[in-house]
Amino acid sequence: MLEARNLHVHYGSIAAVRGVDIVINAGEIVALIGANGAGKTTIARAIAGLLPYRGEISFEGRLLKPNSAEHNLRAGIALVPEGRGILAGMTVEENLLMGLYSRRDKAAGKADLAEMQERFPILGQRRDRMASLLSGGEQQMLAIARALLSKPKLLLLDEPSLGLAPKLTDSIFDLIADMRAKGLTIMLVEQKARQTLRAADRAYLLETGRIVRSGPAQDLAADKIVDETFLGGSVGR
Amino acid sequence: MLLQQLVNGLTLGAVYTLIALSFSLVMGILGVLNLAIAELFMLGAYFGFTAILAQLPLPVALVAAMLGSALVAIVIQKIAYEPLRDAPIVTPMLSTLGFSIILQNVATNVWGSDPLQLTDEVLPGRLTLGSVSISTMQLLVMGATVALVAILAFVVQKTPAGRALRAVAENRDVARLLGVSAARVTLLAFVLSGVMAGAAGVLIGMHYAVITPYMGVDIGLKAIAVMVIGGTTRIWGALVAGPLIGIAEVMTVAYGGSQVRDFVVYGLMILILLLRPQGILGGSRSEQGQRV
Repeated sequence: MLEARNLHVHYGSIAAVRGVDIVINAGEIVALIGANGAGKTTIARAIAGLLPYRGEISFEGRLLKPNSAEHNLRAGIALVPEGRGILAGMTVEENLLMGLYSRRDKAAGKADLAEMQERFPILGQRRDRMASLLSGGEQQMLAIARALLSKPKLLLLDEPSLGLAPKLTDSIFDLIADMRAKGLTIMLVEQKARQTLRAADRAYLLETGRIVRSGPAQDLAADKIVDETFLGGSVGR
Repeated sequence: MLLQQLVNGLTLGAVYTLIALSFSLVMGILGVLNLAIAELFMLGAYFGFTAILAQLPLPVALVAAMLGSALVAIVIQKIAYEPLRDAPIVTPMLSTLGFSIILQNVATNVWGSDPLQLTDEVLPGRLTLGSVSISTMQLLVMGATVALVAILAFVVQKTPAGRALRAVAENRDVARLLGVSAARVTLLAFVLSGVMAGAAGVLIGMHYAVITPYMGVDIGLKAIAVMVIGGTTRIWGALVAGPLIGIAEVMTVAYGGSQVRDFVVYGLMILILLLRPQGILGGSRSEQGQRV
């Protein structure tokens, strides 16, 4: 579905991503795991079209243009950014309506909006509330619901559990499993490596802008070196 | 006397509000002070004047002025802003300053530097309520301002284009992720600001002043003061600050003399900058989400 070849991203003179190759197949959950500064978020932002890059990214056989987020969204790639990207000056409903902005099928969009408010009842109940007044978990749900309303084929989730209590983190991972069960392809960027490897089909492990390991998530989770480097030891915990 | 001055102040404040909204729209969305807005206002006055001289009805003259200024705003966006979008913030501001001087020059060459003035016959008549006398023109200025602000509020708050505008104002990257073309929204902000400035120009040209190529400078600076006093982070601050400054200015002239008029307006601006830099309605930096 998506293939990134020899991807390089620079911030000025600093190389944040250095020659990365990534493949995401339809229906998969693919994880990018690594410490702060490993380049995970940069890769997600480049794929979403927020950054200029060198190399090639193709989606469903078509080459994407760098730094063209609007086109990538229309092609079917949605990113829930790190920090949720809630529009704090808008109500919950206005945020959800922004999820429909790129869609041409306005009538179907309205039906999807109603369905989304049923799927996330708390968002329906608080639709007139300013988005800034929602709790962290509710804001994350709003960000995901808003992205889903654009009808993506590939959903990029950047640190969806960041700053959330363990119980809420579990519910976000449940939601991710639910979205995959409904046929959505997901790229998950996370620092919570253990939980992420349990949820993912395959994973790429990153260090300082390079992929240092990749493969089926189960194999990586059982790998001793990966365990010591990325998971903090004690395999199978 | 006091009531009469209040009405006069509200009329002047209505025009300040329109121009300040024009500045705020671009400032709120792009964080750039478009100094050529003062000249969009001046051109609006000339466009309206030309339309009225051509025997067009007043509403047509108003619309013509708004459209004319909006077209010039598009030219400013394409030439003076868009190529410099990623430059340091002072660069597009300076290019709009250069553009404003060019527009003054163009106006001088097209309409001449002699002051032009419409006669009272354009819209005669007065309404007397007790001791207060309101001219039909004053009613038109206030009525048109209220209508334009209501339309702008509807567009910004209730339409997909307005939501896109607010989204770009709050977070350009997030807006792009939601499919908003930042370039198109930027253009919309310039067009709306041109419409507001053009309307203000034709209204003030008909009501108050003589029309000259330099009429935008003084009123443009006052509108910037109104924007600062209302709060540069929230465009609706102009709705409070516009009438406030209009009334303060008229009262100062009536009771203190015209020689201290500007002292009061700009003194108030400096006071606000010192005591409440975010303006009367402005939120803190962390509340930038509510800019527009």
